[in-house]
Amino acid sequence: MLSEMGSQLIDLCSALLLLTCFAIVAQRRLAACVDLFALQSAFLAGTAVLVGFLTDNHHVYVTAAMTGLVKVIIIPVVLKKVIQRLNVKRELVMNVNVPVALLVCGTLVILAFFITRPIIPLGHVLTRDSLAIALAIVLIGLFTMIARQKAVTQLVGFLVMENGLFLGATAATHGMPFVVELGVFFDVLVAALIAGIYMNRLQDAFDSVDTSHLTGLKE
Amino acid sequence: MTDWLVTVAAAMLVVAPLLAGGLSLAVRRPSLLHVINLTSMGLLVLAELLITRMVLDDGPLTVLGASMYFDALSVFVLFIIGTVGLACSLYMRSYLDEQVARGVIAPNRLNLFFFLFHMFLLAMVLATTANSIGVQWVAVEATTLATTFLIAFWRRRESLEAGWKYLILCSVGISLALFGVVLVYYSSLHVLSDVGKALNVTELLPVADRLNQHVLKLAFIFILVGYGTKVGFVPMHSWLPDAYTEAPAPVVAMLAGVLEVVAVYAILRIKMIVDHAVPASFSGNLLLLLGFASFVTAALFILVQRNYKRLFAYSSIEHMGIAMIGFGIGGTVGTFGGLFHLLNHAFAKSVAFFAAGNVHRRFRTVDISQVQGVMVAQPWTAMALLFAGLALSALPPGALFASETSIVTALAASGFGEDGAAAFSASFSGENGRMGLVTVFLLSAVLAFGGLIYRVTTMVWGTPAQEIVRGEVWTAGHVPMVLLIAALVGFGFVLPPPLRELLGRATNLLLLR
Repeated sequence: MLSEMGSQLIDLCSALLLLTCFAIVAQRRLAACVDLFALQSAFLAGTAVLVGFLTDNHHVYVTAAMTGLVKVIIIPVVLKKVIQRLNVKRELVMNVNVPVALLVCGTLVILAFFITRPIIPLGHVLTRDSLAIALAIVLIGLFTMIARQKAVTQLVGFLVMENGLFLGATAATHGMPFVVELGVFFDVLVAALIAGIYMNRLQDAFDSVDTSHLTGLKE
Repeated sequence: MTDWLVTVAAAMLVVAPLLAGGLSLAVRRPSLLHVINLTSMGLLVLAELLITRMVLDDGPLTVLGASMYFDALSVFVLFIIGTVGLACSLYMRSYLDEQVARGVIAPNRLNLFFFLFHMFLLAMVLATTANSIGVQWVAVEATTLATTFLIAFWRRRESLEAGWKYLILCSVGISLALFGVVLVYYSSLHVLSDVGKALNVTELLPVADRLNQHVLKLAFIFILVGYGTKVGFVPMHSWLPDAYTEAPAPVVAMLAGVLEVVAVYAILRIKMIVDHAVPASFSGNLLLLLGFASFVTAALFILVQRNYKRLFAYSSIEHMGIAMIGFGIGGTVGTFGGLFHLLNHAFAKSVAFFAAGNVHRRFRTVDISQVQGVMVAQPWTAMALLFAGLALSALPPGALFASETSIVTALAASGFGEDGAAAFSASFSGENGRMGLVTVFLLSAVLAFGGLIYRVTTMVWGTPAQEIVRGEVWTAGHVPMVLLIAALVGFGFVLPPPLRELLGRATNLLLLR
């Protein structure tokens, strides 16, 4: 009984993560994108707590706490600081307009379920569909990076991908070995900080963080 | 007795760059920074040689509670890291001093350069020696983070652009690889009981044939694309020419000579696991596909280059493609050729970028049409450049001739039932298909040869412009070039017995023998 309800709850949380992805794709304001990313990370932490509780894996709690600290607090705060320095608050030109982008994302979700169909039955009963949802989030993150031009949104896309990966790792496999998870957290944090520094430098050098200005190097 | 020796040596591999990195941040005097750098590199090479000896004597080792794993393959990669790293350190001695003297690099940023350089080395050593493929992933991502500021070190607009592209593309690629690692873990959980060790190579290899095939196939594709971005395979290569053009010469030599090898190594590790469960033709065909795509595309781009750093960058893509073709065909000849090619390419490309760095400092341009008469202006560099050009177009006496020949031989012979060399799917298995591939291979090799030699000779011969200073002073930076060239020529004729033994064992490992 408990496990059935738990399974439902985990699916609900994963679905909420996926939903925030769509919201990020549809959002033009940079600051709101960052807020949505923080919200998504909070859902991720929630999923991790649920998995930890239902499977009695205590180190997943640590993962949840780290997610809360790094992805809900530190990275969004840093990104907000960076955005304040920038002279553009909104994504003005989009490579792909919002309705089309949402349609593409829908297709990506179907694709993700299709790809993972042969391997889903191998998973734990508790968290069956999470692997497919995780792959969908990774693909949508990747798509966001291609569809958007601002350095900030590209970084958010990357972080969304990482969230998808973590959902896969916590839900489908109940957490990777602890050393690995620590290392991944460290890498994501440093990557986000470095990207923040880059954005400041790009702002200074090009007076913009629009990556369409980055065209000096070509054949 | 030997146990503690191995432990000390293994710890040294990690501690030396870590300590050197920390010290570099605290030290201000440039000469002291160089001393720290060379000492740590020396220790690293010493430790690596010790471990090589042990592995050759006793077979694969695990140390420090099975967190590090050494076999012939990882020791071989360590050998490349150590040798090219040492060469770069020697080269930096003259390169950085001049850059500081000319005011290109502010003296107070020099310790940052060395700190990042040591972190880069540390990450590569960890990626090579880690037993867990999860830790390996963390280390490969760490190489991206350590090098992104090294690439943008000149802080020009173009370098920022190259650095940002590199950071974003490689991080994304690497994220896909992490999904692959998660999938491997997903499959191993059903077989291995100790979840803490379920990503260790030493645990995975013995049970690999019991892992789920579907999951492993999917995992291999993700990991190949992920780490392949880091190697710079077509079509994930777009960051590579930009980064190689903008980064300072010693950094490029490390990127092209070592980092690519480490990324290939990460792919080969997974290939070994996957090949246990899935027929080798699956991974082999994917490698062949990427290899040919990279080789042919790069050969075409080499033909139209007007920038000599980009020229060598595309040549890197080309040679990584060739090595992948070797691994893809498999069999003793192909695999051996692939490994040997990695080694030779690392040496030759370091020489090429050292020489290119010297030319860039003298002529202040990367435009081939504005560089003429290097032989008059910088005779030593010109000879190194010429040799690198010849070697990289796989002409004798460079050893790339030997390795490329063995790869094309394996390609032509594949399907004739040579041991394990049946990595061809039905579409390629016919006589015509195979000979078609050989033709494509040779044509691309000729294209690359023509492009490289033509561009390099126009730079080397002729008379330099009036304002170019003539004459070249012998510096510490010339020593590694001469040594690497000597090694390349030597390897072309005869491989030193320990190295041959190492390559042979690594080949057997990859062929699961």
